[in-house]
Amino acid sequence: MEQIAQHWSVAIFVVAVFGLCAFMVGLASLLGGRAWGHQKNTPFESGIVPVGSAHQRFSVKFYMVAMLFVIFDVEALFLFAWAVTVRESGWTGFVEAFIFIVVLLAGLIYLSRVGALDWAPIKRAKEIKTSS
Amino acid sequence: MTLLPLVFICPLVGALLLAFLRGMPQRLAALIGVGSIALSALSVAVIAVTYLGGDHTPVTVTLWQWISVGDFTPRFSLYVDGLTITMLGVITGVGFLIHLFASWYMTEDLKDATGYLYTRFFAYMNLFVFSMLLLVLADNLMLLYLGWEGVGLCSYLLIGYYYRDLDNARAAFKAFIVTRVGDVFLAIGMFILYARFQTLDIQTLLALAPEAWSKGDMMAELAALMLLGGAVGKSAQLPLQTWLADAMAGPTPVSALIHAATMVTAGVYLIARTHVIFELAPMTLGLVGIVGALTLLIAGLSALAQTDIKRVLAYSTMSQIGYMFLALGVQAWDAAIFHLMIHAFFKALLFLTSGSVIIACHHEQNMFRMGGLRKPLKLAYACFLVGGSALAALPLVTAGFYSKDEILWLSFASGHEVLWAFGLMGAFLTSVYTFRMIFIVFHGEEKTRAHAPHGLAHHLPLVVLLVLSTFIGAFIHPPLAGVLPASPEGDAEGLQLVLEVVSSIVAILGLGIAAALFLGRRRLVSALVKTDIGRTGWHFLHNAFAFDQLYNMLFVKPFLAIAWLHRVDWINALVNIWPWLAKQAHRGLSASQTGRIRWYAGSITAGATIMLALLVLG
Amino acid sequence: MNLTTSHLIALLPLMLVCATVVIVMLAVAWRRNHFMSATLTVIGLNAALLALIPAAQVAPIQVTPLLMVDHYSLFYMGLILVAALACTTLAYAYLETLPDQRDEFYMLLGCSVAGALVLVASQHLTSLFIGLELMSVPLYGLSGYAFKERTSLESGIKYMVLSAMASAFLLFGMALLYAESGTLSFTGLGQQLSAGGLASNWVILGVGMMVVGLGFKLSIAPFHLWTPDVYEGAPAPVSAFLATVSKVAVFAMLMRLFSLAPATADGWLHTIIAVLAVLSMVVGNLLALMQSNLKRIIGYSSIAHLGYLLTALVASDGLALEATAVYLVTYVATVLGAFGVITLVSSPYRGADAGLLYHYRGLFWRRPYLTAVLTVMMLSLAGIPMTAGFIGKFYVFSVGVESSLWWLVGGVVLGSALGLYYYLRVMVTLYLSPAEQPGRDAPHDWAQQVGGLMVLVLAVLVLIMGVYPQPLIDLAQMAGLQFPI
Repeated sequence: MEQIAQHWSVAIFVVAVFGLCAFMVGLASLLGGRAWGHQKNTPFESGIVPVGSAHQRFSVKFYMVAMLFVIFDVEALFLFAWAVTVRESGWTGFVEAFIFIVVLLAGLIYLSRVGALDWAPIKRAKEIKTSS
Repeated sequence: MTLLPLVFICPLVGALLLAFLRGMPQRLAALIGVGSIALSALSVAVIAVTYLGGDHTPVTVTLWQWISVGDFTPRFSLYVDGLTITMLGVITGVGFLIHLFASWYMTEDLKDATGYLYTRFFAYMNLFVFSMLLLVLADNLMLLYLGWEGVGLCSYLLIGYYYRDLDNARAAFKAFIVTRVGDVFLAIGMFILYARFQTLDIQTLLALAPEAWSKGDMMAELAALMLLGGAVGKSAQLPLQTWLADAMAGPTPVSALIHAATMVTAGVYLIARTHVIFELAPMTLGLVGIVGALTLLIAGLSALAQTDIKRVLAYSTMSQIGYMFLALGVQAWDAAIFHLMIHAFFKALLFLTSGSVIIACHHEQNMFRMGGLRKPLKLAYACFLVGGSALAALPLVTAGFYSKDEILWLSFASGHEVLWAFGLMGAFLTSVYTFRMIFIVFHGEEKTRAHAPHGLAHHLPLVVLLVLSTFIGAFIHPPLAGVLPASPEGDAEGLQLVLEVVSSIVAILGLGIAAALFLGRRRLVSALVKTDIGRTGWHFLHNAFAFDQLYNMLFVKPFLAIAWLHRVDWINALVNIWPWLAKQAHRGLSASQTGRIRWYAGSITAGATIMLALLVLG
Repeated sequence: MNLTTSHLIALLPLMLVCATVVIVMLAVAWRRNHFMSATLTVIGLNAALLALIPAAQVAPIQVTPLLMVDHYSLFYMGLILVAALACTTLAYAYLETLPDQRDEFYMLLGCSVAGALVLVASQHLTSLFIGLELMSVPLYGLSGYAFKERTSLESGIKYMVLSAMASAFLLFGMALLYAESGTLSFTGLGQQLSAGGLASNWVILGVGMMVVGLGFKLSIAPFHLWTPDVYEGAPAPVSAFLATVSKVAVFAMLMRLFSLAPATADGWLHTIIAVLAVLSMVVGNLLALMQSNLKRIIGYSSIAHLGYLLTALVASDGLALEATAVYLVTYVATVLGAFGVITLVSSPYRGADAGLLYHYRGLFWRRPYLTAVLTVMMLSLAGIPMTAGFIGKFYVFSVGVESSLWWLVGGVVLGSALGLYYYLRVMVTLYLSPAEQPGRDAPHDWAQQVGGLMVLVLAVLVLIMGVYPQPLIDLAQMAGLQFPI
């Protein structure tokens, strides 16, 4: 019995969510005023006329750095968990954390050596080096 | 017994080496081909000595167990007893001599041949010996069947060795197909045995059979009949005898090894090995004797009218195996095996010598174009005289006399007088055609210039076999006591002596008639052949009672007619529905492989939904 | 719980593989040398293989609640390591033709192997998921490794997207199970779920979703569509890895899950898996029927083979574990050999792999021994007696017959009959008269290369296992599952 009651409450909740959305959007479209015009179809850029396509290509480096940041950042999070319980986890925990950090360090060394952290592509970096 | 695997591994390794390193020089190929058999023969010698020196207890050697899944434990094991030892001795001993001879023969034969013919020959020969050894060593009918098919395959390959000649290829086909008919019977026999006893281990079968079947049980008769069918096919007995004469298309050492000494006697071995089942089937056992008697007579008559030296020998082989079957039929098991061994000696001798003669006469096989070879080919003449005497069983001095007379005596003593009479007639015929051959080939006027062959590889096998074909060979007695049941003993020693004298007289009479007819001018024979009846008779005999024509009418033509009617292939059209369905299904399913990732994802979702819905609702 | 020396010894194979990855990474950072990276990887994998011996002495042992190092997991670890070694040797020759960045291949491979090792030892849904992802994620990279080839890139992306979807199913299923039982360990699940009598709908749904997720990894119909595309596009050594290591690991884990947590008391799940099995056998074989690309053929045939294997999973008793072990070993040896030949033929060329059957037309007349190897592998895949494949198929048969799963046995028979057709088609192609422009050919000295040697050894092994399988069977019988106390 209780289960059915639970199911009912969930169902009502779901219906209510959809209802609320429909209500807000519907009411706004009913009550709001409308205006037509050429300007209405251009994107709003704080009053400035947009230039060029929005589909710009960013250098892969942006993603790369972002990903590397996320990876190392998240790995560092684990250290917080260890830091809180450093006494309780004892030497075993210490050794494990140490190995963890060493592996991270190795990864960092690798990344810097293969040039993943250099902003300029390897080819141009070489050119710069030879020219200077 | 530790050497036992070596016996058959040597030829196998030899065959593989020869097959894969086919570019090797001829000398090396001969060394490997002959040497592997020599090693194998040596191992057999050691095994025989230990076996005979011991207390003659049979040994089962399990080489390996293939798999053991639950109750299913097929084993690969060998069985050694006196019968096996005898067969091993014949196969490796005679086989070695023939291989040695072949190393000479093939060198001569392939003088201006190109390609890898020489290594190919020895690869096949070694493979044959391997299969044959497997056949006799097998403890299991399945393994025996493997060897059985292996020798059939090698026989096919070697008959068609000169495959560029279409006739040879046809002969190979014929041999293969006809023996296959027998093999089907053998397979059915194995099915029957397995269905009844749930095992194919020969020794277990032989132990179980008398408990399950009373004497004369119909199933026992049927099983024995099917085994007989297999034996008849392999041993070229009536009614599956037609292939052997054509099988002479292969090189002569092949005829000596496969179609005289070893493979064709496999049927005799099979019946002797499963004798317990045959003893439970008296009707079939009687049939064995009748088959043997008929074959020996028909083959003997056919041999009288042959012109090709090898075909004479082929028919004589058929008739000698007929004797062995006769012996089996009257339960003279020892005598059959004894004759098998002696026959291997003198028939190998005759075949090898004929090979030597053929080479000496520049590949001439027609006897009537030879003649007068007595002087240039002295060794060959001696060999033919001794071998022929053994074949004709001339009294006292030849090995054949002792083995064949034992068969005749035992058939009489066991009360099969009719069979005995057949055997006696056969002995007479044997004597006539053997000496006809010798007189035509070695006497009379010289028609070709023959070059006497030389070389140890040529002389040694001939001399050894020559010695074994005399009474000396008869001293070798197969150690069969306890393996096969003793033959029924006759009551009177005196009677045996009388019968021996009778058969001796018959043999000498045959010699005399042959001399009268074929020594000198042969006027009588020519006159006889010129008459209408004579010519028809001669053709009838020459074509071996026209069995080929008969089978052609009875089986081949109807078969071809049915095939012709069926050329649209009605049944296949029905069967073809399945491949068609499969193809349509393939096409339908292939449409699902669109390569589009969203379709794939969709299909996973759809599959999951259906599956989960079924799970939850079910 | 405390880690003792024996725990560490039990974990040694896994740790060695992880260490190998780190060492290769540092080595690459120090100096980029393809030969050195490959050698280090081979040494590491071999060391891990050797470490199985001390590990076997302390087994069975439970290392944390997550992992169970018993003979069962050690057996499959061995199989995985051997297969990974084979892939490494194959990859070495293959990578030589790639323009740059060859070394990362070995790191990815190492990570994937580590994941597979975790997977076969896992007895907890957490380690299951970690292992599965650790194994799969590097595989995305590996499939797209020859990214200059469009097909390779495509296969990498396809595999990633679809795999992520499958992982979502898997996670959702696990979540449902946790919600119902409050535990994540296999045995805990088994006890909790069997305690309440009939399993509730949520449990069935959870197990079902897990089956979807894992079925995707095993490429079981109807979750199989990705398989041929990925096999075709991925570099041949990677396809070999996908077809062997990932399948072995997932199946071994699935077998353990089903044995320890029989949430399958409900007969319906059994029925569904049986249906999936038959579907896989039939669909896989039918799809391969007229296929003209060898890599795709092997992909389809792997769908069918996993279908055969599911028979053992449905039976789940008696010979099932032994059958699984034997079947996987024979299958791995065979598929490695087949992909090995493809790699050897593809290696000396840039561009897409030599997948088309056309490339293999008349190979016999140019490379007789290599052709013999491929022929043996095809015979083995078809399950012809005297090859390893027959032993495996025979086991599946006996399991099916033993448990009276007649529909499945019928499916195996039908599948084998269909399969024979396209395996024979491949063989016939090999012996036809050579194509006018062969295009692809193995290098002259292929037999002297490591990969070539490995392929020859595999061919001999497949034959030996077919003729004398008893040692393998004994080994498989030892690989018993340890039920935790």
